[in-house]
Amino acid sequence: MFSNIANLLIEAYEQYVYLPLFIQIALAFIIFAILATVFAYFIIVFKRYQGYVTEKRKNFITPKIEEIITDQVLLNEKLNEGIPVDEIEFDLKALNHKMFKKEWVRQALIDIIIQYRKNFRGDLGDLLRKFYLDMNLSKESFEKLKSMKWEKKIKAVSELTSMDIQISDVTILPLTNSTNPSLRSAARNAYIQLSKNEPFKFFDIATEPILPWDQLELYRIITTTKDIAIPNFSRWISYSSNKSVVAFCLKLIAHYDQQAAIPSVIDLTSTKDHFLRAAAINCLGKLSAEIAEDKFLRIYNTQPVNCQLEILKALGRIGSGKNLEFLKQEFMFSSNFDIRMSAAKSIIKHNSPASRILIDELMAVSSEENKLILKHCQNPLIKY
Amino acid sequence: MPTASTIFWDYAAPFFEKTVFVYGTTLLITYTMLAILSFINIRRYLKKESYTDYNVIIGSPLVPGISVIAPAFNEGLTIIANVRSLLTFNYPIYEVIVINDGSTDDTLEQLIAEFALVKINYAFEQKISCQPIRGIYKSTNDAYAKLIIVDKENGKAKADASNAGINISSFNYFLCTDVDCILHVHTLQKLIRPVLDEQYKRVIAVGATLRMANSCVIDKGVITEIKAPRQLLARFQEMEYIRSFVLGKMGWSLINAVPNVSGGLGLFDKEIVVRAGGYDPQAYGEDMELMLRMNRYSKENKIESAIRYIPVTLCWTEGPTTLKVFMRQRTRWARGLIQLMSLHSKMFLNPRYGIVGMVTVPYNFFFELLAPLIELTGVIYYIVLICAGEVNWPYAVILLIFVYTYALMISSLAVLWDQLTFQYYKKWLDVIRICSMAFFETIIYHPINVIFALRGYFFHLIGKKHTWGNMQRRGFVQKAPTEPKPTVS
Repeated sequence: MFSNIANLLIEAYEQYVYLPLFIQIALAFIIFAILATVFAYFIIVFKRYQGYVTEKRKNFITPKIEEIITDQVLLNEKLNEGIPVDEIEFDLKALNHKMFKKEWVRQALIDIIIQYRKNFRGDLGDLLRKFYLDMNLSKESFEKLKSMKWEKKIKAVSELTSMDIQISDVTILPLTNSTNPSLRSAARNAYIQLSKNEPFKFFDIATEPILPWDQLELYRIITTTKDIAIPNFSRWISYSSNKSVVAFCLKLIAHYDQQAAIPSVIDLTSTKDHFLRAAAINCLGKLSAEIAEDKFLRIYNTQPVNCQLEILKALGRIGSGKNLEFLKQEFMFSSNFDIRMSAAKSIIKHNSPASRILIDELMAVSSEENKLILKHCQNPLIKY
Repeated sequence: MPTASTIFWDYAAPFFEKTVFVYGTTLLITYTMLAILSFINIRRYLKKESYTDYNVIIGSPLVPGISVIAPAFNEGLTIIANVRSLLTFNYPIYEVIVINDGSTDDTLEQLIAEFALVKINYAFEQKISCQPIRGIYKSTNDAYAKLIIVDKENGKAKADASNAGINISSFNYFLCTDVDCILHVHTLQKLIRPVLDEQYKRVIAVGATLRMANSCVIDKGVITEIKAPRQLLARFQEMEYIRSFVLGKMGWSLINAVPNVSGGLGLFDKEIVVRAGGYDPQAYGEDMELMLRMNRYSKENKIESAIRYIPVTLCWTEGPTTLKVFMRQRTRWARGLIQLMSLHSKMFLNPRYGIVGMVTVPYNFFFELLAPLIELTGVIYYIVLICAGEVNWPYAVILLIFVYTYALMISSLAVLWDQLTFQYYKKWLDVIRICSMAFFETIIYHPINVIFALRGYFFHLIGKKHTWGNMQRRGFVQKAPTEPKPTVS
């Protein structure tokens, strides 16, 4: 039989080589296309089946794991008896159950413990951590950290951070400056959460940018992590050559209302980068840095529109009242719509007797369009 | 002395055959390349998604605001449910701008009554041209504080209404959609991610996959069950959309050569849109025209820009279910393409415009614009050969099988990529329904498309005036009410 098939193939090949080139190409493509199509449908079936099996496995194992966690951790009587977490021992029989030998079960266990730990703090959180350690799951997380695959490293970093397991600086710091943006971001997030003494040390060595998305993550971690040592961020404003670090520090300075950083931020308004300059002006406005007002006025006419808009906004936020005349001039005579809008908003934001008199005055003398701008800015229904 | 017939059969015919073969093979190889590129891009996206925590966006003061712009024309039947649906995004800072584009029904009156709207003094600068605005309305109910209704004179094109929305918008990014599209609650966070996650380039537009909502189950403006369309025409379109978005645009996105971000769903950088001049109300394919102009503006001003696509479905739209409406849509698209190519001929194979000039525009010219014409020529040639008894039937059959199997493979791969991204269809039957379309597309759907495209070219050639017809929507499948019906005792 095999010899028949072989003969058939040889015969087909002998006929094939005598066909015109374009027919040869077409035949080759046909075979390729049929194989690829069959392969595509096979994978579709396989993936759906795999999804079904995974779901079934998950549905089977999750209640069992949750039962063990409930018994061993959540309803652990020793915890109620006041025994310190470190001294609590788990039931070895439950921990050594044969199902925990399987890799996928251990991964499911890690994922569920992490989920629980997000919801439980204090002693229960610590006991969950101990459970994770006693089950020797940290070993698996550290194994992933050694992987060549960046996504596995991220998983490891995320698991260890969630369980509050220290990763040595030698391992984590180089990752905070990785050229892979995703790994870099995960490592930075982990470093801030895990490093008790100098959580912002990686700012010093960061040559790769902190992308806006990473800033969202870092910002949330920094502003929500308890007992984090908040430094004076002006340090990086003055010395860091990484613009994204400086821009991010400006946001943190504003959030933590670091008045001591004002001189450094004022210095930054002389930088050549107008985006950074605008961010510095914005920060000073949020800090209500009255001391910066004179500089704002001095540099105003030499600035691009984005910086001018930030200056006008900052004057409104500071609201000292000393520059109402300047705001009035900009509102009355600027040909730029956005400038007039910002000036009007800033005047209104002052919310002082002088500003209210000024608004009445402007209402009386302004053009129809400027009156409309004032009405727009005063309307409480308009939020943005 | 050779006769005309001898010259034709000896020289012109072999030349034509070889040219068409090379053309067809190049197209198929391009599709294979796209399949590979899209696979790489989808894998990359899925890896990133596996550890992305979108909760960082919620409540963050650092996220950029987004204006959602949704033009509406005579949508009285569904406007209230549609607007309510647009107000449910899971995003901290956004506004919804609905533009009543001179509706002749009671769209505006319904909106005013339902959302407690009052006409307000609203200052704005008309940065891009649009028809006059009659009034701007805001709600006195704080629950609808994000809503702005713009009433304007009819501009006879969605582009004009979108321009009005852009003029009114407050934020630096805007999402353009149709008011009757159903958007996923996470649309804004998913679309802003590529903008905030780009290291070297300025992302000027982001798109995502669209699907047919025709047979999906919808409850209060939210999709509760995704199903493959029951109607054949809509199901063919679903297959086409999957191939176009998941395989095509994801592939182009990897090499930054995305030709178009759909008008149904796209996030845009407002500054670039305004500087590029906004939507062109005269364009038949205003979305693609804007993309090319934005690309052109970026290159001419040395802005390192990027257009990105994500493979997840965030928008469901009702596709035409009658041939008449479908014909009108495809005729308009064909006219749009021909108009686009003549408007931006300067970009064609022009290295100044980078990959868009060297790849995107030529691809669209050769493989989108010329394809129906070449297919028509091929059919005529075939008929001539048959009449002259010159057909080599075994070879002809091999070539037809070649085209058929290859098209089948590409569509099947598109379904596979889609299934790898997310298994939208919960039931096997829906998967089979979509997969089966790949087998019939080449022989049923594709010829119809070619005919309508040729119709569009013909109308363009004779300068026939285009009239904007209504989509004649049938409405979506609504989830059956669970409350017991009142009985009369």
